[in-house]
Amino acid sequence: MDDRAHKAHRPSQSGAKAEKKKGKGKEKQKGFNEKAFAPKSGIRADRQGRRNVERDQTRLHVPLVNRTPDDQPPPVIVAVVGPPGVGKTTLLKSLVRRYTKQTLNQVQGPVTVVSGKKKRITFIECNNDLNSMIDIAKIADLVLLMVDGSYGFEMETFEFLNILQSHGFPKVIGVLSHLDLVKKAATLRDTKKALKKRFWTEIYQGAKLFYLSGVLNGRYPDTEILNLSRFISVMKFRPLVFRNSHPYLLADRLEDLTPREQIRESKGKCDRTVTLYGYLRGTNLRLGTKVHVPGVGDLDAKSVTKLGDPCPLPDAESEKRRKLSEKKKLLIHAPMSDVGGVIYDKDAVYINVPGSFTRGNTDIPQGEGERMVMDLQDVGATLEDAVARSQIKLFGSSSKPLAVDPGPSRQHYSDDEESGSDEEGVEHDLDEGSEDEGFDEGSGVEENFESQIDSEEDELSEPEDNEVGEEGDRGRSAPRVVRRSTHDYKSKLDRQSKDVEYAESDSDLGDQDEEDDLEDSRRVHFDEEGVDIQSDEDEEEISGGEEVPQWKANLGAKALAAYEQHSRRKKRKDWISLIYNSSLSPEQILEREDNPNALQDRDDDDMADEFFAVKSRSGVNAEDEDKDMSKEPLNEDDLKRWEDEELLDSIRKLFITGGSSEAQPNGDDAYEDLEGGDFEDLEAQGDGEGEAQAEDSEAAVLAAKKEALKRKFDEQYDDPESSKMDFYEEKKDEMARQLEVNRAEFEDVDEEARALVEGYRPGTYVRIELADVPCEMIENFDPTYPIIIGGLLPAEERFGYLQVRIKRHRWYTKTLKTNDPLIFSLGWRRFQSIPIYSLDDHSIRMRMLKYTPEHMHCYATFYGPVALPNTGFCTFNSLSGSTPGFRVSATGVVLDIDRSTKIVKKLKLTGVPYKIFKNTAFIKDMFNSALEVAKFEGANIRTVSGIRGQIKKALAKPEGSFRATFEDKLLMSDIVFLRAWYSIQPRKFYNPVTSLLLSNKGAWQGMRLTGQVRHEEGVKTPLNVNSTYKKVERSARRFNPLKVPKKLQSNLPYASKPKVIKPQQRQTYMQKRAVVLEPEEKKAIALLQQIRALRKDQVVRRREKQNERKEVHRKKVAKEEAKKSEKDKEKRKEYMRAAGMKSKRETEKEEGRSSKRRRKE
Amino acid sequence: MLSTMTSVLHFSGHQYLRHRLVLSILSGKPLKIDKIRSDDKNPGLRDYEVSLLRLLERVTNGTIIEISVTGTAILLKPGIIAGGSITHECPLSRSVGYFLEPIIMLAPFAKKPMHLTLRGITSDDQDLSVDLIRTVTLPHLQLFGISDGLELRIKKRGSPPVGGGEVQFLCPIVKQIKTVNFVDPGRIKRIRGIAHAVRVSPQFSNRMIEASRSILNRYIPDIYLYSDVYKGEDSGKSPGYALSLLAESTTGAIHSAEAVSKPGVTPEDIALLASRALLSEIRRGGSIDRKHQTLVLLMMVLGSEDVGRVRMGEPSPRTIQFLRDVRDYFGTSFKIVPADKSDPDCTELLYSCYGTGYVNANRSLA
Repeated sequence: MDDRAHKAHRPSQSGAKAEKKKGKGKEKQKGFNEKAFAPKSGIRADRQGRRNVERDQTRLHVPLVNRTPDDQPPPVIVAVVGPPGVGKTTLLKSLVRRYTKQTLNQVQGPVTVVSGKKKRITFIECNNDLNSMIDIAKIADLVLLMVDGSYGFEMETFEFLNILQSHGFPKVIGVLSHLDLVKKAATLRDTKKALKKRFWTEIYQGAKLFYLSGVLNGRYPDTEILNLSRFISVMKFRPLVFRNSHPYLLADRLEDLTPREQIRESKGKCDRTVTLYGYLRGTNLRLGTKVHVPGVGDLDAKSVTKLGDPCPLPDAESEKRRKLSEKKKLLIHAPMSDVGGVIYDKDAVYINVPGSFTRGNTDIPQGEGERMVMDLQDVGATLEDAVARSQIKLFGSSSKPLAVDPGPSRQHYSDDEESGSDEEGVEHDLDEGSEDEGFDEGSGVEENFESQIDSEEDELSEPEDNEVGEEGDRGRSAPRVVRRSTHDYKSKLDRQSKDVEYAESDSDLGDQDEEDDLEDSRRVHFDEEGVDIQSDEDEEEISGGEEVPQWKANLGAKALAAYEQHSRRKKRKDWISLIYNSSLSPEQILEREDNPNALQDRDDDDMADEFFAVKSRSGVNAEDEDKDMSKEPLNEDDLKRWEDEELLDSIRKLFITGGSSEAQPNGDDAYEDLEGGDFEDLEAQGDGEGEAQAEDSEAAVLAAKKEALKRKFDEQYDDPESSKMDFYEEKKDEMARQLEVNRAEFEDVDEEARALVEGYRPGTYVRIELADVPCEMIENFDPTYPIIIGGLLPAEERFGYLQVRIKRHRWYTKTLKTNDPLIFSLGWRRFQSIPIYSLDDHSIRMRMLKYTPEHMHCYATFYGPVALPNTGFCTFNSLSGSTPGFRVSATGVVLDIDRSTKIVKKLKLTGVPYKIFKNTAFIKDMFNSALEVAKFEGANIRTVSGIRGQIKKALAKPEGSFRATFEDKLLMSDIVFLRAWYSIQPRKFYNPVTSLLLSNKGAWQGMRLTGQVRHEEGVKTPLNVNSTYKKVERSARRFNPLKVPKKLQSNLPYASKPKVIKPQQRQTYMQKRAVVLEPEEKKAIALLQQIRALRKDQVVRRREKQNERKEVHRKKVAKEEAKKSEKDKEKRKEYMRAAGMKSKRETEKEEGRSSKRRRKE
Repeated sequence: MLSTMTSVLHFSGHQYLRHRLVLSILSGKPLKIDKIRSDDKNPGLRDYEVSLLRLLERVTNGTIIEISVTGTAILLKPGIIAGGSITHECPLSRSVGYFLEPIIMLAPFAKKPMHLTLRGITSDDQDLSVDLIRTVTLPHLQLFGISDGLELRIKKRGSPPVGGGEVQFLCPIVKQIKTVNFVDPGRIKRIRGIAHAVRVSPQFSNRMIEASRSILNRYIPDIYLYSDVYKGEDSGKSPGYALSLLAESTTGAIHSAEAVSKPGVTPEDIALLASRALLSEIRRGGSIDRKHQTLVLLMMVLGSEDVGRVRMGEPSPRTIQFLRDVRDYFGTSFKIVPADKSDPDCTELLYSCYGTGYVNANRSLA
């Protein structure tokens, strides 16, 4: 019995006891022990409270409206920046692989990927050119700043940080690479610490710094990249003021649309028409906005077209899942890079084929590029044949296809005709919609052909299409539709198709759409043509005509149906189209409103009548509108109506005393519902059916009012604090409400009308067509240099004088001089201009400065394109990569914009007296004419010695001399000067940095200084002979002896008499005597002499001794010096070795990847 | 150079001169107007138009105005709006209101706060009288956040034909104006009015008030009609009297009307005219006075980059042309739909636009 082991205790798993135990334990473990954090004393509590409040305040920022829509935001721009050879491309490739599982062979231009369910990222690599760094700094949302951990920071890094700072400072994540090259763990730790410290001082304490170790398989380790991507995905972006008020776009594709013929004729020198593609960012892009392309110049956006998203966000179907579906992960849009072996260039598509390419090898899966080529090879017939064979049916129902005769006519055509046909083609594509189907099927071969020849992305980017499947279609179909290709084949084809379709239509096919939706504007159109037929008749005529082809009859019937439906649906007139789309004068529009039949009647009249009508109308206009008055004249006859009591009563409901309905117009009893006017108003419109209903509604209204009152009371009584919002909350709430209104207002409007009213929203993928682009941009196109399109505000298109507050950068070694050209990076632009520096002189004047002060702000004024006040900028003296040292020369902010400047510099006019009276003197040589003197009458003058005076009046002779009075008598030797201020204007010099137009983009050369030019040309400075320094010969001044006339002398009192004593003639007593020394005296003198000699000797000996000692010391010092220099040498050697290693690594890498681009040394 | 790139906007005819000039100066786009009364017996610009151009030249800095020899064409290259203290003598052919209206549109965007003194006729039957500008136009600006220091002081009154009045217009500058969302017209809650009589019996204004009350009293008890009397020097050089009325709604919408003395018409008739004009104005509905449509629409266009909405009656011809010109200058078009879709005979319209986010670039930080 005893040897049986006791049953082990099994604590109950459920029940009250278990619950009790569990609860207790948990509370002890996890619970927040309030006592532990309670303040120990009142003072501490107070401090703690204060600290908490303060910390809360740091959380707050000035509320800013974010103009980017939440539902379809544009991709976030993540820029990878760093010195060459630091591993930018590797990082970019690793990140792209992380997001899309695709390896890019060659990264050029922006790469857009889907990174999450509601997030996309555009990666862009920034090369080492300063121009690119400036442009990237203006658009990047997040910068991955790469630093070589084994080398440390380089000048470019700091330059880039300064550029970032002056353009709004987007988010920065530091990335340390090459850490595997640091072998010792201790050194690694120290390096990390040192770099981090420096990085933090540059950005902010606690800024994120990432460490990347070595490269595996040409990529960074997956875990590190995963971590980095997580940091990127949680990054929150605060809108930057400049970007929040300007639309902009980072072009990911460029296409030259200039007709080939024109290029050929001008030998490639003609201005081009260029389209740029990209996601819109910032604010809405309005129609007619002027844009600036940094590096190119101000350009006109000829047209903007919304395209389907090439890299769409996952839609609702996959939204249900928490994670991004694998399919979506593969989406990538990088037209300039090598994705799947296809690269788009400005005018060509390159297909990368690995290994050797042979046909018939069907068992090997081919890339899309290869398939494309093989399809091309399959084509047996020429385009002409294809067109000839094609059967084009305009409508699905058409029985007979349109015939084409493949004549020679299409060999020659004018350019404008071609462009016109392009337009038509586009319109056709857009409008016809469903009708297109038949056409497509009918001309299958041709369609096929077209797609093969065209180097567009639809077929080429097959992987995406395939993966996206049916829903991905929307992304790819649109661009193809609206494209106006540069390719001869395509344009020919378009023209051909145009010929076919519009062969018999008399230009009113285009009007058909308008006809569909607005009858008014259609009539307007006819007004212009002078035809002016009533619409019904018009249609009858169309349908009645026997000779018109079948499709046209069909058209008429369709239009009629549409019109009828339209008119049934809409009785009211369409103000928008009347105002914006018609050419009617305002009076005509209103007149029509007053009696709708008026115009109709006139329309029915014959032509002659019409002419008369127009004439008389214009006559009336001249009388009426003569005055440009905002007050309309009171029409007494019209106002007579108001004598009628009924009319007077009819507007009672518009007053608060008016009661709820018209039925009971007693104004006095309804007076009490003064507050509830809104409820009443709503009700007033609704009712009017019956008494009972009115009563019901009355009760309902009363109930609602009571409810509202009760709620209000409850709120105030229960918690008076909660209903009150602080300023911050209030503002945020206000913004949110306004955004909601913005979203809601145009929700129901169709796409095109919406673009008209509010422009294109950020987040849409658009194509911008730019006219008159310099041909060099196309010819010297390099995808590694970012192309930005920045929208300009109306004010920014203008030029003027900008006053800025500027400070020379601490690290820039030279001072800046007035009238030396500077390169500004201001707003979107980079340009060279000539500033004049100035300081505010006692708030009286702006005084010119020759040089910028040290460590102090000053003003600068220059001529250039206007930027809004408070815009930051930075300046450079040179943008070239070979400039030694720090290149950011100054930073500052725009203060003021004006058309004139008030800068003055000091001017001293000097003159000399030629006649002096007591306190009056005549001064000459200051002015040239009496008129000048008259201008300065009463001006203060001064002598160099400090005697003050005033100009009185001009003298007749010599010309330009004047009388002046002083506070004391002048000397003839005095110089008199007048302190004046001379106003100066900055030079009207503006030179945009056109770096994108150069073949060597880093080698832009602006205006040089005279000295620079001379230096480069080897010309010596011309020397003015008068400017050379000569020895000043000052002759000693000789004074004549003072002679007092004898007569006067005799009259003078003794004290004033000149006391001239004759030299003594007789010898003095002492002179007469000889002196003989006594022997004692002789001895004493001799002794003194000996003592002196001894002393001298002693001093000499002492000095010798001292010199000896000094010599020893000197030797010692020299020895130490030698030791020190040895050490220095060693140090330098070490440093150079490190540098050498780095460069060696670079060159190795260079050899490894020959494609790598590098700054030209 | 690039400055030549900004395209010149071209108009013809003398009509709508004022808002075209204003839009040109605000947008900075050069403006060319030709065929100014070229077919008239007296071709070219009128004296008041020339005077207006002179005033604009003084209000701005760097503006270049070229008038052709015949006066039938002008070219305006706008500078920046400078503001500051300016005095201007208005010709007797138009009243002060003609000059004030465009200045009111420009003044908030000047470099310095505007302090403009205008001398001439203060109220006539063509332009807004200074009373209406003070009591109606300026409150409309307050909708857009321009309020502190906005003032119109009527120093002296001057009736046509000789005038002799003087007003001071003070306007602060703003960085950016708020947009407006004013879709509830409310119901009229009070009526105010100013009756003034200069160089005639002061009894005249009381007679006008009596007559006006006879009509308006039936609607609402909250009616105050002030009799504004100016004496001696301040009453100008010619006799005259006028009544200006305004009705304010629960939501702050203001409707106004006025009538000015005419020879041979009794003050009672003038008052009746004004009151009836007010009633017809109220009947038109909307939350904005018909005379101020262009002002409000302009401010909406210039407002922050948000949707502004306002409910108004049908546009006046000036407004229609203004909307067209705004599209030319700023590329902004309005969405105009009936305010009440369910009600077929509702004439009120809802105007909405997306503001351009106009920022006062002239404002100085130094």
